[in-house]
Amino acid sequence: MAEGERAESGGGPGPGRPPSPAELERAEALKTRANEFFKGKDYENAVKYYSSAIELNPTNAIYYGNRSLAYLRTECYGYALADATRAVELDKKYVKGYYRRAASNMALGKFKAALRDYETVVKVRPNDKDAKLKYQECHKIVKQKAFERAIASDEHKRSVVDSLDIESMTIEDEYSGPKLDGGKVTLAFMKELMQWYKEQKKLHRKCAYQILVQVKEVLAKLPTLVETTLKETEKVTVCGDTHGQYYDLLNIFELNGLPSESNPYIFNGDFVDRGSFSVEVILTLFGFKLLYPDHFHLLRGNHETDNMNQIYGFEGEVKAKYTAQMFALFSEVFEWLPLAQCINGKVLIMHGGLFSEDGVTLDDIRKIERNRQPPDSGPMCDLLWSDPQPQNGRSVSKRGVSCQFGPDVTKSFLERNRLDYIIRSHEVKPEGYEVAHDGKCVTVFSAPNYCDQMGNKGSYIHLRGSDLRPDFHQFTAVPHPNVKPMMYANTLLQLGMM
Amino acid sequence: MAAAARDPLSAAGLDEADEAVRGTCEDASVCKRFAVSVGYWKDPYIQYFVRQAKERKAPEINRGYYARVHGVSYLIKAFLKKTDCNCQIVNLGAGMDTLFWRLKDENLLPRKYFEVDFPMIVARKIHNIKSKPPLSKPIMESHSGDSLLIDSHSLDSSRYSIVGADLRFSSDLEEKLKKHNLDIHLPTLLVAECVLVYMTPQQSANLLKWAASTFPVAMFINYEQVNMTDRFGQIMIENLQRRQCNLAGVEICRSLDSQRERLLLNGWETARAIDMMKVYSFLPQADVKRIEGLEFLDEKELFEQLMQHYCICWASKDSSNLGLASITF
Repeated sequence: MAEGERAESGGGPGPGRPPSPAELERAEALKTRANEFFKGKDYENAVKYYSSAIELNPTNAIYYGNRSLAYLRTECYGYALADATRAVELDKKYVKGYYRRAASNMALGKFKAALRDYETVVKVRPNDKDAKLKYQECHKIVKQKAFERAIASDEHKRSVVDSLDIESMTIEDEYSGPKLDGGKVTLAFMKELMQWYKEQKKLHRKCAYQILVQVKEVLAKLPTLVETTLKETEKVTVCGDTHGQYYDLLNIFELNGLPSESNPYIFNGDFVDRGSFSVEVILTLFGFKLLYPDHFHLLRGNHETDNMNQIYGFEGEVKAKYTAQMFALFSEVFEWLPLAQCINGKVLIMHGGLFSEDGVTLDDIRKIERNRQPPDSGPMCDLLWSDPQPQNGRSVSKRGVSCQFGPDVTKSFLERNRLDYIIRSHEVKPEGYEVAHDGKCVTVFSAPNYCDQMGNKGSYIHLRGSDLRPDFHQFTAVPHPNVKPMMYANTLLQLGMM
Repeated sequence: MAAAARDPLSAAGLDEADEAVRGTCEDASVCKRFAVSVGYWKDPYIQYFVRQAKERKAPEINRGYYARVHGVSYLIKAFLKKTDCNCQIVNLGAGMDTLFWRLKDENLLPRKYFEVDFPMIVARKIHNIKSKPPLSKPIMESHSGDSLLIDSHSLDSSRYSIVGADLRFSSDLEEKLKKHNLDIHLPTLLVAECVLVYMTPQQSANLLKWAASTFPVAMFINYEQVNMTDRFGQIMIENLQRRQCNLAGVEICRSLDSQRERLLLNGWETARAIDMMKVYSFLPQADVKRIEGLEFLDEKELFEQLMQHYCICWASKDSSNLGLASITF
């Protein structure tokens, strides 16, 4: 990772030529000097001298291991990780190397990776008390962080639900917020919840858990491809990304009416991350899913995944407002979100787009085993990540994942599957929507002034059973409370001083 | 502080605004520390100046700081090379910057490195330096002669000096720097990162004029906002105002042209300005590829928009014909 940064300058042994005995000796001397600096807490010089030693003798695992520790002391976790990895590559039996790598991973929050290395150390040094202690510590964190993810194998995943005892959670008398009615979501509850959230208050964790456990059950029963019919007289509203912009979600309900059996909705992924109110958005959407399971649909977006949630704020928000355990449950629930929806066999909806390869059928989508984190490639990844492009063919994606697909790809996919067009989201558009590929690829995006920065409009689509062509409705952002700029708040509040 | 003494009636209001500006120092440093901890660049010193971030920062923020730190550093090193380190650096509004220590590690110290900031910030920085050997040792190592001069708002050593002053009052600033052996005849590089924008156009013009007229051979590097007349700019201004932080000089941040012009109008011979997206493209791409692999950026638009609203401007005057005007990316 940091190889380019620390490329050995001229003067070292160079590729292919092993160091001479004199160079080896000098390298050792440099290392000894470096160790002295290290003891004296002069980590800068320690790194310098280790680097010089490495220059002379680039295959000594100990030099890398020692330098890794110096980097750890100076919080250069990325470099520490790179050095520790190199040390272990050079000498698989170098126990300290595993130790260093585990410490780097811990610092970088990669607890599972750290646990693997601690495990190795404990195996090799069963009598080392410190190793055992570190292993136990790490193990605890991993467990706390994501129960089933930490100890599950692919065959039998243990659910957070199993370790929850919701019944015995009590709601204090002082809590004056919404509660489920007999354990069920009602319209009255939803109305009370939305107002409660508008006032920036927190839903009691028991209710949150109840919702999550119930919605997980509902989602798990759904197929990966949800197929619905829209009768002539019926209509449905399709919304795109909402990204934690709760007040804009409320505005959608204000403009377009609350969800109901006669006012069905489809939300096309990316409900969380980036915006400051992801918890409010997702629990509201999950609440409506429970209230109107057949008239309120949620599809998975690329941000309903662990990698995105870790970096873009949802995990941070849930941990701040609730616990890591609750986030682990959210993660499980997200895995059960369907990946696509087909209306009247004619309109296909998914968050990202079409596929990196030709010949994909609706049946292929149906068959995807979706309850997992998306793989790096393949149809499940494409459904969440791909983007349309104006030119024919396919290109490497600007995002570095999945692909960009042209009008010809769309055309042949639609023909093969006897569809009219696709609706997708995933990309912010100034007007809140975009029609591409000769009307066959529609983008809808429902987070106006995205991240308080883009100044874009949001939009939603009306589809009538009588005429499945998209009817676009645009709207602009509404004000929202200025939540302290945490990671998941808008970028701009951190700016100005950038 | 000089300003308060001059106008007691508005001291309270002025100080509240200044306090908000001082707050930006911590924000920037915390963000930098976070980026460093993820691996974007090396800075073993920043941890001694500022606390750890309470929450993650967005990847575009980390990349933005990476570009800022490396862009400014590139120009600084070009100046050092052009002058063979026979020069001075004056870091205006330096905050908790760690450049002195990093340059020393690379054996690239100028003859003397000066830092200036509000007395409150300087006091804090001096306290950190005094209490943390990794910070104080390099200063003592590079010091020759008798003991260092340290008081609550200033520290003076052979190669490093920090002084508390108000940048809006250049005569006071000059006096304090000269007390610390500023040599106006040495080629001097002045650096201001997110500093001028907090002063009125008049005040920043005065500062630039003072620098241009005081040093016969000099370069000025300015990093701050640009293209601020659009919606993004408006939103940033509003957001900052809600934190009582006033971008008093935002008028000059209209465009790259206005940034260039203000330098030329205030005594500098040549001036250039480019936005950070451009700077990003000029950075060594091998390392850029490395940092892009550190955190996955889900949305390029946010990053690009952010970067197009910040710029690096640099100006020079060169009575010795050292070739300062040719310094560029």
